[in-house]
Amino acid sequence: MRLQNAGPGLLFVVTLLAGCASGPGSIYVPAGGAGGQSRPPAADSGESAAPAPQPEPRVSEPAAPEPAPRYQDESEALSPAARSLIRKADALLRAGDPQGAISQLERAQRISPRSAEVYFHLAQAYAAMQRYGAGEQFARKGLSLAGNDSGLQKQGWRLLADIRRASGNVAGADQAEARASAL
Amino acid sequence: MASCPGGLVIIAAMAKGSPRKKSSAGRSGSSRKQSTSRRRWFWSLLWRLALVALVILVGWTVYLDAKVTSRFEGRRFEVPSYVYARPLELYEGAGVSADALQRELQMANYSRAAGDRPGTFSRNGSRFVIHTRGFRFADGVEPARQIRLTISGDQIQRMSALSGPAAPIMRLEPVQIGGIYPASQEDRVLVQLDEVPALLVETLLAVEDRDFFSHHGVSPMAIARAMVANLRAGDIVQGGSTITQQLVKNFFLTRDQTLVRKANEALMSLLLELHYGKRDILETYLNEVYLGQAGARGVHGVGLASQFYFARPVAELGVHEIALLVGLIKGASYYDPRRNPERARARRDLVIGVMEERGLIDRNAALRAKGQPLDVRDKPSWSANRYPAYIDLVRRHLARDYRDEDLRSEGLRIFTTLDPAIQYAAEYAVRQTLDSMDDGQDARLESALVVTARDSGEVVALVGGRDPDFAGFNRALDATRPIGSLIKPFIYLVALQRPEDYTLITPVQDKGFSLVFDDGRRWEPKNYDKEERGEVPLHEALAKSYNLPAVRVGLDVGVEAVRETLQMLGVTSPVSRYPSMLLGSVSMTPVTVAQLYQSLATSGFNTPLRSIRQVTDADGEPLSRYHLEVNQVADPAAVHLVQYAMQETVQEGTGRSVYRYLPDELSVAGKTGTTDDGRDSWFAGFSGDYLAVAWLGRDDNGPTRFTGATGALPVWAGFMSRVPQHGLSPVVPDGVNYHWVDDQQQALTEEGCNNARLMPFIAGSEPKQRVSCDGQFTRRIRSWFQGLFR
Repeated sequence: MRLQNAGPGLLFVVTLLAGCASGPGSIYVPAGGAGGQSRPPAADSGESAAPAPQPEPRVSEPAAPEPAPRYQDESEALSPAARSLIRKADALLRAGDPQGAISQLERAQRISPRSAEVYFHLAQAYAAMQRYGAGEQFARKGLSLAGNDSGLQKQGWRLLADIRRASGNVAGADQAEARASAL
Repeated sequence: MASCPGGLVIIAAMAKGSPRKKSSAGRSGSSRKQSTSRRRWFWSLLWRLALVALVILVGWTVYLDAKVTSRFEGRRFEVPSYVYARPLELYEGAGVSADALQRELQMANYSRAAGDRPGTFSRNGSRFVIHTRGFRFADGVEPARQIRLTISGDQIQRMSALSGPAAPIMRLEPVQIGGIYPASQEDRVLVQLDEVPALLVETLLAVEDRDFFSHHGVSPMAIARAMVANLRAGDIVQGGSTITQQLVKNFFLTRDQTLVRKANEALMSLLLELHYGKRDILETYLNEVYLGQAGARGVHGVGLASQFYFARPVAELGVHEIALLVGLIKGASYYDPRRNPERARARRDLVIGVMEERGLIDRNAALRAKGQPLDVRDKPSWSANRYPAYIDLVRRHLARDYRDEDLRSEGLRIFTTLDPAIQYAAEYAVRQTLDSMDDGQDARLESALVVTARDSGEVVALVGGRDPDFAGFNRALDATRPIGSLIKPFIYLVALQRPEDYTLITPVQDKGFSLVFDDGRRWEPKNYDKEERGEVPLHEALAKSYNLPAVRVGLDVGVEAVRETLQMLGVTSPVSRYPSMLLGSVSMTPVTVAQLYQSLATSGFNTPLRSIRQVTDADGEPLSRYHLEVNQVADPAAVHLVQYAMQETVQEGTGRSVYRYLPDELSVAGKTGTTDDGRDSWFAGFSGDYLAVAWLGRDDNGPTRFTGATGALPVWAGFMSRVPQHGLSPVVPDGVNYHWVDDQQQALTEEGCNNARLMPFIAGSEPKQRVSCDGQFTRRIRSWFQGLFR
């Protein structure tokens, strides 16, 4: 795992690391519990307890050093709950029920929306229904989230090659196959 | 059947009466012969009239029979369609706060108890025991279970099934958030006889119709009993109508008390019993009986009444609640437990007495039940649409595939994507922010907020105005307003898709100019602050939302290219071809803006917004599904660069007051938008999990004192600050590399330098030159050495 952060805020790196380490990741917890009471509490505990409109936001700078835009190189891991739904979907797909598989995969996607694997499975389910256009799009979406994980990238390109071959796009399939082989 | 002739005799006797009257009017002569022939003539006439009456009666009976059977054979009830929120998925790691979970359970009418019967839960701090009711989803049955779970850090930490099948992921049944009602405004929760507690049925029969299973539709015994009781009381205290008669009365007849109507009622009751079984009649009665009034809408049937009074399914009712429901049949308005609690209680206790007397419950149970309060919820808990703006969106979506009359009568189940916890935070943010801005001075200030799940395009919350309960003008869907600077990311997206011409550090001109059109008109765009800064790097021009560079870049890449991009990303309304569109003189609704920004949020994949996952029929069989779709419409690499500048916008640019509301660790990206004189204030942005678009302005399009940063931003950030979620941390797509650069000198530099920024570049477009910390250009050799030690 490689993490980069331009800003001096070590805190962010720590938060991010913790987030990446534990699958679905730790989440931002609103102060006072997410508006849990009948009247949600204000966002911040201290200075902005009652955020008033700021007519001139440019005048006052935030006190803390400015953080830098964030990014990550690695794909996000699948949560165990999503994994269990994918297993269920696989069984449905094997039993010849791609529609049922898609329902379970969409549940998994809502739980782990940034995991490349979910989209690869959706691509397979659509390909099983011979809906190659949708299959290709899901494969591409998965690839866009594969990050620097060459195993996932290879899986994605192979899948794309298979889908393109099945849809009769031989040139596209060869291209995708070449990308997979280069990894 | 034996009773049929009986019915006929009564009517025939009535028919005999009238000819007699007629003949008496015609009597005049006195001769015996005359009288004999007259008598013969009279009998002959009588027979003929009787025959005519019989034919009419048979015809009438056939007519009534057709009326009875046609109603019973067809669809007996118009059942409204019900709209559900998304089911809450419970799994370890699920983001939900303890209070939000409790609120969700209460919305689903769970009562806080021991958590040991379906529809109850217990909570001890962050530990919950929930006994779910189970639900039949289109993709399978979610069984009723007893679940134990702990919440910490707004996530479910440990979850197990105490009873029922264990699974790593379980679903609560979805909360009903609204209904689509028949024109008659009738509402109904159909129940089957098997779902109704036996005690309720037995009590009903004990109170309303003791001979139900032995009579044939009318009960002379009951009539006699009622007459005796009424004579004794000197008033009408008891009715002799059977359940069949009551059903016939409600189903087919008017309310007036005429003899003809009574006769019809008796005849139709007999016919009904002739054709249909007792259980069928009883079940229909249970679904038809009038039990209350909710505004213009009658509360019919025990299924709905149970929800209406106790906010629970009928199967979960206790003795005292059953007694109250049965007691209400006699007069739902007179005994209304909300308006006349004392009367209702007396009536209930009387019914409890009957239950005991008939041996349905023992003495102790009766005493216990009488000791209970009425237990009626203060407000009817169900179905007055909770989220009119959201339901409005759902109905428009449904209108594409369903006829209105089917929605109103076929009892469809519509499973939406609404997340009640998010909706709650969204409504709160709008109301609270606007109230704090007004100081009561500008009540005309209005707002709208659209929230979607970032990667699925599911609309999870929608606020159409500052009063979310008001089903009026839905600004989120219908306020078409100029989007101002919200257009700028798309101009730069077009530019950055040409890495040979544009990178994030390409210097762009922040200098005034004028355009002269063919017809001689001039256009001289200005910056918001009227300043000009000369050259600025592209990322800063976007983050600080300078107008002049945006227009220059837009003209360079072409207005047409920007238009095409907007249309590719999902804008279906016409987009202006004038260069002023580059400053956002193009009007859109908040929900369209959300669609547009979805592609930026999801790295270039157009994800159509959805408010419905599935529609099923009344039995849970799927009718239509609305699936997740993704469609790559922009280069993920270029989008990644735009996301960088949009993160910079909230960290250093026009949106930086976002972090007055949000803690630094919640990374987000966003863009402000303002139109002339603050008529429209916009903010669109996203975190790791959610995309939200806020608009603020006035319905009359009047000026306000707000900009995007001071008006819509507080609404947006106020909302984001109240929702547990992941921060934004986009995965670097293929073909993008990060480099330390000095953006003023457009050169690579060292990590520790003062001017150094770590910025993404599409491979090959990164600067070739390198500067040292003091700004001196260095030789290539130095980077060569660095390469050695990497």
